[in-house]
Amino acid sequence: MLHLSSWEIGPIFRAMTRNKVGAVLIALQVAVTMCIIVNAVHILMERTMQMARDSGIDEANSFYLSSTGFADDFNDQVVIQTDLDAIRALPGVIDAMQINAIPISGGGWSMGLQTQPGAEFEGVGTAVYMVDDHVLNTLDLELIAGEAFKPSDIRWRQRSQRDWPAEIIITRALAENLFPEQSYQDTVGKTLYINDDEPVIVKGIIDKLQAPWVGWERLENAMLSPEQTLFSSSTYFIRTEPGRLDELMPAVEQMLADSNKGRVVRGLRSMQETRDRTYRRDQAMIKILTTVMITLTLVTALGIVGLASFNVNRRRKQIGTRRALGASQVSVLRYFMLENFLISSMGVILGAVLTVGLNIYLVQSLGLTKLHWWLIPVGMLTLWLVGQLAVLGPARRAAATSPAIATRTV
Amino acid sequence: MFNYYLRLALLSIRRNPILSALMVAAIALGIGASMTTITVNYLMSSNPIPQKSDQLYYVQVDSWDPNEPAEEPNEPPEQLTWTDANNLYAAQKAQRQVIMATTAAVVEPPSQDAKPFNAYIRLTTNEFFPMFDVPFLYGGHWQASADKGREQVVVLSRKSNDKIFGGENSVGRSLRLAGRQFTVVGVLESWYPAPKFYDVGTGAFEEPEDLYIPFLLKEELQLPNGGNTNCWKTPEDDSFAGFLRSECINYQMWVELPEEQDKQAYLAFLNNYANEQKALGRFPRPLNNRLSDVMQWMENRQVVTDDARVMLWLSLMFLVVCLLNTVGLLLAKFSGKSAEIGLRRAIGASRQALFYQHLVETACIGLTGGIAGLALAYLGLLGIGSLYGSFADNLSSLDINMVLLALLLSLISSIAAGLYPTWRACSIAPASQLKSQ
Amino acid sequence: MLNMQNVTKIFRTDLVETRALSDFNLHVKEGEFVTVTGPSGSGKTTFLNIAGLLESFDDGVYDLDGENVRHLNDTQRSRLRNEKIGFIFQSFNLIPDLDLFDNVDVPLRYRGFNGSERKRRIERCLELVGLANRMKHLPAQLSGGQQQRVAIARALAGEPRFLLADEPTGNLDSKMAHSVMQLLKDINDEGTTIVMVTHDPSLAREAKRNIFVKDGKVSDVTHISASAPEPIASISASGARHV
Ligand SMILES: Nc1ncnc2c1ncn2[C@@H]1O[C@H](COP(=O)(O)OP(=O)(O)OP(=O)(O)O)[C@@H](O)[C@H]1O
Ligand SMILES: [Mg+2]
Repeated sequence: MLHLSSWEIGPIFRAMTRNKVGAVLIALQVAVTMCIIVNAVHILMERTMQMARDSGIDEANSFYLSSTGFADDFNDQVVIQTDLDAIRALPGVIDAMQINAIPISGGGWSMGLQTQPGAEFEGVGTAVYMVDDHVLNTLDLELIAGEAFKPSDIRWRQRSQRDWPAEIIITRALAENLFPEQSYQDTVGKTLYINDDEPVIVKGIIDKLQAPWVGWERLENAMLSPEQTLFSSSTYFIRTEPGRLDELMPAVEQMLADSNKGRVVRGLRSMQETRDRTYRRDQAMIKILTTVMITLTLVTALGIVGLASFNVNRRRKQIGTRRALGASQVSVLRYFMLENFLISSMGVILGAVLTVGLNIYLVQSLGLTKLHWWLIPVGMLTLWLVGQLAVLGPARRAAATSPAIATRTV
Repeated sequence: MFNYYLRLALLSIRRNPILSALMVAAIALGIGASMTTITVNYLMSSNPIPQKSDQLYYVQVDSWDPNEPAEEPNEPPEQLTWTDANNLYAAQKAQRQVIMATTAAVVEPPSQDAKPFNAYIRLTTNEFFPMFDVPFLYGGHWQASADKGREQVVVLSRKSNDKIFGGENSVGRSLRLAGRQFTVVGVLESWYPAPKFYDVGTGAFEEPEDLYIPFLLKEELQLPNGGNTNCWKTPEDDSFAGFLRSECINYQMWVELPEEQDKQAYLAFLNNYANEQKALGRFPRPLNNRLSDVMQWMENRQVVTDDARVMLWLSLMFLVVCLLNTVGLLLAKFSGKSAEIGLRRAIGASRQALFYQHLVETACIGLTGGIAGLALAYLGLLGIGSLYGSFADNLSSLDINMVLLALLLSLISSIAAGLYPTWRACSIAPASQLKSQ
Repeated sequence: MLNMQNVTKIFRTDLVETRALSDFNLHVKEGEFVTVTGPSGSGKTTFLNIAGLLESFDDGVYDLDGENVRHLNDTQRSRLRNEKIGFIFQSFNLIPDLDLFDNVDVPLRYRGFNGSERKRRIERCLELVGLANRMKHLPAQLSGGQQQRVAIARALAGEPRFLLADEPTGNLDSKMAHSVMQLLKDINDEGTTIVMVTHDPSLAREAKRNIFVKDGKVSDVTHISASAPEPIASISASGARHV
């Protein structure tokens, strides 16, 4: 620190230019490593953020299963009512209902809603959940405007039936999509058109509910339609008290299977599992990228350690001579750290260019989003740090070189 | 001479164990990572039916909304309507053609102790099996008459035959399906095309269906829709028949056209058909009919996921880092040997001899790294398998091609990495190292 | 200037204990030129290393310029080496990656001189040894004698009061050796104290005093009458002509 002249930047640099290849190799390694790491972190953050989006329902304590009748005397309507009554009566169950599709599961029903009738107007896409009056409690939704469904609102829907109930509940996001200029509260009571010209009235607004398709750009557009379905299969959605899920899942399955032999009970799955399956690829990608980043950093660091150790050995005599000429241990340490810093600097500058280049390529050809600019300085800093840490060991060994080497070695 | 070089190489590797281990590790990691992702990409993009992939065509006709295309930019819809599927099939204009859809129904096995279960079913026509070279274990496919007569016949996958009939030859036996009595006419061999090219709508690497039944039974038994259903227009009435008659798409069609002129003729037929339909008031969009062969269709459906491509890119760059690393370490190692090289040169070794000597050493390190990399790739694929679950089951196996590629890649890349250091080491002048520095 | 009393140095390895110096006594006055001779392995280099603070010792007293150096820490010793002592090695020890300018620059950097001061000194010292015109050359491009002269320039650049040389002419022919010797004598005449280890009796005789080391002890001291020094210019010129 005493004198700037003892920092030897000039001589280090000139010595390096006589030994270009080694320095260039490390710089290139640092550059490519930075390019990979920054882009990987970017992808990682993108995925983590997607996965962190709230579905709006009580995922931790919910599960569902399906029942498919096959016996000739199977009466859907009766069975569904009996099933739901029985499930709701179970201790530990908060509420239960029939539903046509499961949020974030990947499969569901969508429709277009428009504010004016007529095929020529474009609709706003929305997920459709067919539910009964237990929906708010079962899905743990909050009604933020208007009214909830009453038992008398619920109708039965036949398999190929095309018309829609008179009133629906929509999510706040959908309300704001349909009427961008108005506050969502004012949407209550408005008439919307489904199937181009069939009117439905907005009865209420819920805070949040995700559609089944997590990759959809309008993920929070969802509507609740007050009806129970008489399709070939019925899916029951059940919310339990906290901590009772594991015990209730097999219990409900068993109860349904035992209560009626003329059907198949299948597809028992918790919401947690559904989430895991839906985001499995993202989760996998995150793990793979993390592994790649760690091993890559390790490889680069080991490369630096290897090359630096080698250089220290090769320069033992030179180090001894420097020590004999008055270099303190700190000066020797500083020499190697500074040398690495200069090489890393070239690396990270090139790395910044490569990083942006790869990101542009990924944006254009694979539809990734643009990099946050601050990731680049953070990446540069990280690689500087990795380099300094990697070179610390060899540099300390160099500093410990005895000045007597100067006269002892040939 | 080669043996001598080999001995020298091993000696030299043993003299610098840490440096050598670092190099082997770097190559192994690079090869391991890139082989893992190359394998995944290779399997994703592999041709599931190479013997006739260029004779099988997926059929698309544009029956969509006049106001907007089914998919941007002006793509025809991915699937067909019930009406078009049946019309095109009935025309029998290709050498072979098949129309199909998926559905699900409850199977009640004949034996009392086997429980009823919900089966995934492919509705299809009889030529599905010969057209896609589907192998049979017992029996065979149903006849065209069964399609027309809506006969209740069924072909079982090997797995469901194991489940329902304990794996015996079940041809001629019956089972209850969707509340009706069906007769088994055939049982398939294990058949897992990857990608599941004939229908990638619900995932390109899913397992094939459990059962296969004649297509028209959909109407007969009012079977529900599987896969994706998309409509641009509401059905005209509430009945099941009304739904089938609608403009909703849920059906796929493949045709077999051996020659280019067959393809041209079929395309002409499709255009002609579209014009007929226009006359009937359907097909409001401009003519936009398409035939895609298997690999084109896989490309169109983006069977190789973007994630796999990103990983491939990143891992190739990873390999570059590992190779740079190796170059640096080799350079260090060989420059440490410059005294020995100078001496050998002074004694009379030719530059060429020294070059070979060091190349052998490099190749040894490269091959060791490659083999270790192969082991890592195997672990990597196991890892990918466990991370992705069933999706990757068909995607994470190393075949002999991949093993050879890995070895070749490691050898080539390590020699490429070793070339410069070797050349540098060997261009040392014989005298320079004898002179005191 | 240099005062050693009963200095003892023992090298311990797993197998043997070597008494490289035992009860070594020597006093060197300011401005003296002392040559050290003795059989191989007698402890000459060890003595020089201790004198130059490159090595520590086990027992005894060593005063350098009136300062007891026994308990100085590494940084203080480095500082002393840098400021008071100049080193010349048998195998020159030039740094191969640096050109002559940067080589001479090395100790000046540690001294903390500013750029213009360093430049002035480097140029003057290279001038002194007759290699000013080859400032940008690498050591590998010089002959042994030239390399040793660069090493001398490097040792002189910090204007040390005390110059230590371990067989500086060991790798040179006798003509070159004598020209280097002459250079050292000229430096000595300017007031720098010099201690030089050598195997060459003819060189040893040119100093003012010669000590003979045997078995780690000073066994004999010879005082030599001063001979008339030759002018520096002729030596540098002869060195330059040698190129
Ligand atoms: N690092 C060491 N470890 C062990 N013994 C050592 C070490 N350095 C020197 N010695 C021993 O100390 C003794 C003195 O060595 P020194 O190098 O001082 O001899 P020298 O008089 O310089 O000999 P030469 O004229 O051959 O250079 C020798 O016996 C030597 O083997
Ligand atoms: Mg000696």
